[in-house]
Amino acid sequence: MIMFFVNLIILLFVPFLMTGVIKKTKTFWQGKKGPSVLQPLYDFIRLMKKDFVISNTTSFVFRIAPIVSIVTVLFAAMLVPLASGKALINIPAGLIIFAYTLGLGKFVALISAMDTGSSFEGMGASREACFTTTVEPAFFVTIASIMALSGNYTFDSLVNITANAGNYGILVTVFASVVLFIMILVEGSRVPVDDPATHLELTMIHEVMILDNSGSDLALFSWANAIKMLLISSLIANMIIPSGITEWISVLLYLSVVFIISILIGTVESCMARIRMSHVFEFIFVMSSLALVVLSLVIARMFGG
Amino acid sequence: MDNYFLGIMILLLSGFVASVFSKKNKITVLSILVAIGSIFCLIPAIQVLINGESLTQTVFLSNIFCSINFVIDSLAAFFVAVITIMSLASVVYSKGYLRPYMEQDKNINSHLVFLPMLIASMLAVVTCQNALMFLICWEIMSLSSFFLVIFENEKKEVLKAGIKYLVFMHISVLFIIISFALMSLQSGSLDFASFASGMQNNEQYANLVFLLAFVGFGTKCGFVPFHNWLPDAHPAAPSHVSAIMSGVMIKTGIYGILRMLSLTGKPSLLISYTVLIISVISALYGVLYAITQHDLKRLLAYHSIENIGIIGIGIGVGMLGLAYNSPIVAVLGFAGGILHILNHSIFKELLFLSAGSVYVKTHTRDIESLGGLIKSMPATAVMFLIGSVAICGLPPFNGFVSEFLVYLGMFKGLSIHNFISLIALIGAIAGLALVGTMAILCFTKAFSIIFLGMPRSEAAENVQSDNGKLMIFPMGVLATFTLIIGLFPQYVFNFILKPVSVMCECNIESLSEPLSIMQIISVYALALVLLLAVIIGLKLMLSKNKTVMFETWGCGYNRPNNHMQYTASSYASPFLSMLKPLFKKVFDIEKPRKLFPKSAHFSLHIDDIEEAYLINPLLKGDEWFLSKFERIQSGNIQSYIKYGLIFLVLVIIGSLFIG
Repeated sequence: MIMFFVNLIILLFVPFLMTGVIKKTKTFWQGKKGPSVLQPLYDFIRLMKKDFVISNTTSFVFRIAPIVSIVTVLFAAMLVPLASGKALINIPAGLIIFAYTLGLGKFVALISAMDTGSSFEGMGASREACFTTTVEPAFFVTIASIMALSGNYTFDSLVNITANAGNYGILVTVFASVVLFIMILVEGSRVPVDDPATHLELTMIHEVMILDNSGSDLALFSWANAIKMLLISSLIANMIIPSGITEWISVLLYLSVVFIISILIGTVESCMARIRMSHVFEFIFVMSSLALVVLSLVIARMFGG
Repeated sequence: MDNYFLGIMILLLSGFVASVFSKKNKITVLSILVAIGSIFCLIPAIQVLINGESLTQTVFLSNIFCSINFVIDSLAAFFVAVITIMSLASVVYSKGYLRPYMEQDKNINSHLVFLPMLIASMLAVVTCQNALMFLICWEIMSLSSFFLVIFENEKKEVLKAGIKYLVFMHISVLFIIISFALMSLQSGSLDFASFASGMQNNEQYANLVFLLAFVGFGTKCGFVPFHNWLPDAHPAAPSHVSAIMSGVMIKTGIYGILRMLSLTGKPSLLISYTVLIISVISALYGVLYAITQHDLKRLLAYHSIENIGIIGIGIGVGMLGLAYNSPIVAVLGFAGGILHILNHSIFKELLFLSAGSVYVKTHTRDIESLGGLIKSMPATAVMFLIGSVAICGLPPFNGFVSEFLVYLGMFKGLSIHNFISLIALIGAIAGLALVGTMAILCFTKAFSIIFLGMPRSEAAENVQSDNGKLMIFPMGVLATFTLIIGLFPQYVFNFILKPVSVMCECNIESLSEPLSIMQIISVYALALVLLLAVIIGLKLMLSKNKTVMFETWGCGYNRPNNHMQYTASSYASPFLSMLKPLFKKVFDIEKPRKLFPKSAHFSLHIDDIEEAYLINPLLKGDEWFLSKFERIQSGNIQSYIKYGLIFLVLVIIGSLFIG
């Protein structure tokens, strides 16, 4: 029961810290002091109090989209193991419910962007939809391969990767982590896929989709996006953290992995420029090929003798 | 069983009765009669689904047919339920849809005769267990739907699409005839039950028969590469007819495949993988081309191919389960596939009906010239939105349940410790995931270009009000179905196990796990819906923050207009540019030239790659070959008499030698 609340707190607050740490890392590499890591949380609270400016082209879709977005992300979180290594709903093929619930949020976010009739937001929506199609299959192949190793098809199999994969465990973990890390960059709209630092010309995917959102709508969208990053990071964390340790140590390890991932994201952002839009696919296909590497490792483990 | 025949009779006669009535009452009478007929057919079907015992009636017609067995087993009963309910919704809807045509004094009597005839023939097809009678009913079904497709036969493209449909259906029936003939050759009878005994020992023969039947029935339901008639026939037909055809009629092809499968016994590995691979390709191909389409009904037609592919993946997984002796995989695969038949017929019909509703008001199917309709047609917009979310397989709607079952079957199949099945199933999982995300891309495009933003043409701008209750009501019923199935999947799963038990043995104990998962999904979906409803309600009522309405932010530009919006082509463009080699793009460009350019235009059309590279060259070759025989047809009566004489002489000589 305590773990449930610990997880809940992690789920709700660590996303702000993650974005805070990413920003802090970036300012560190730039040689600046930067705002506190809690700044995203302050921004959130301030935005929640603000009034709305809403485009008169929009309909009810635009009003409900932020709520659907945050609620679907929170519901998807029930299926992912967080700090304690056990998901709230731990069932076979939970991966499907996880991905499709996020899909519902994405669907509504896309039509809400199109609702404004703005060409900027249309562009963002079109790219977001397009990148999702390339990310999702690779994600499924990676997780399904790991599940095939364990044979129980829940997210538990991530935790027991070394027990199931033997010598291949480390390799599988490394490649799968890279796949998921690239997925964070794409889904969380970070450099080199997208640039979250500005709202206009440079960033033409996620940030531009929410160009017309204001006040609490904007706050909810950004929060949902940060939680999504946390969820994918917790998949990585659960692969890395060894099983069979006490709960509190695993919480600590979990948090440190999540922050290391944030620092990595910040570092990638500091030393890379955004890729030209037409080349983003090539970057995402790296992820697909690594997913196939994971699959071949699993096959080698299962049938290679 | 007598009720059933009575129901079919009422359906057959209803069209004739209805055409006698005055213009105003025609369709009302037809709807009532179809409703009565459907209820008579539904009674025995529901009886079978509840009791689980099949009903049989043997009819002795004449010496040619011997005796014909009509059997309603749970599989047939499931299809009867789908056919009657879905058709009824369409017939009720047709009153509103056909009104403009009747106001223009178009004669719709023949349409009203063929509409119930199509329903009756489908009901006969799924229960008839005699090969010859089955083919006759099948043919009546194809022909009556052909006449429904060419409703607007004064338009040339409609007639062309109709004839294409007719040709494809007859290629399909040819394969079915061959496969039936091969089976009756083995068993010496035309009865389906005897076919099964003839197939037991001979695996090669059974494979051949099943493959032929798969091509035949697959053409009906639109598996790639036999799908080509679908995207032409659906836009040509009136919306309620496309709804019946796409929602119900193409499923009779799936029925045929399932029936053949139950007759030919345990499938071989080769056949199972073939079905799985063709299905994955169909699903991907369908959704890929759907993204390229700007004609709303063509887009929906391509989505039928996609969904037939998903149904096929379910059946393929079920067959793999049978082939590898893994009952749980078989049950989950078939359950997913069969449930998706029901689900697809619901949301596809919903989408076609709302597309028709848009067409009635705007008279265009081109989504590029629509936009902003959510303000003038809110009810239709909500219906289309529900249909879109459901067809993308997203919770909490019904599409998710069936896709989840298929996924679960595939995951369970991963534990069949076999190299090939592992790769095939992971490939299929990735394929289905890709199909899901591409469907999201396609339907966010369709919904937002049609209903959101600003109107892109006068036709869309001039829409004043939504359609009447008569058209919205059937859609509302269908939308409720999608939500109910999505919220209470455990009951639906129990119900679907009955038709599945015809395909494979359902051991109830091994199914406790999927059943409990279904219960969890039910709670999950209910909580999701409730929470969303509560929060949205609270936000709308209690929000204290002030709301200011203003123009869309155009980065400082304050006069955005409808031409500055994103279009359907531009929305799909990044994705399509990634997959360039898979299309044949036909550009029509006239660049602005000289100092004062007079005219310039640009249009892009994407051809079906199969039509461009396979069917058209084939047709051209055919034309070339047949043109060699043009000389025979001289129009000269003397030469025709000469042909007759030559033929007679040949027959006499032939009979001398052979006889």
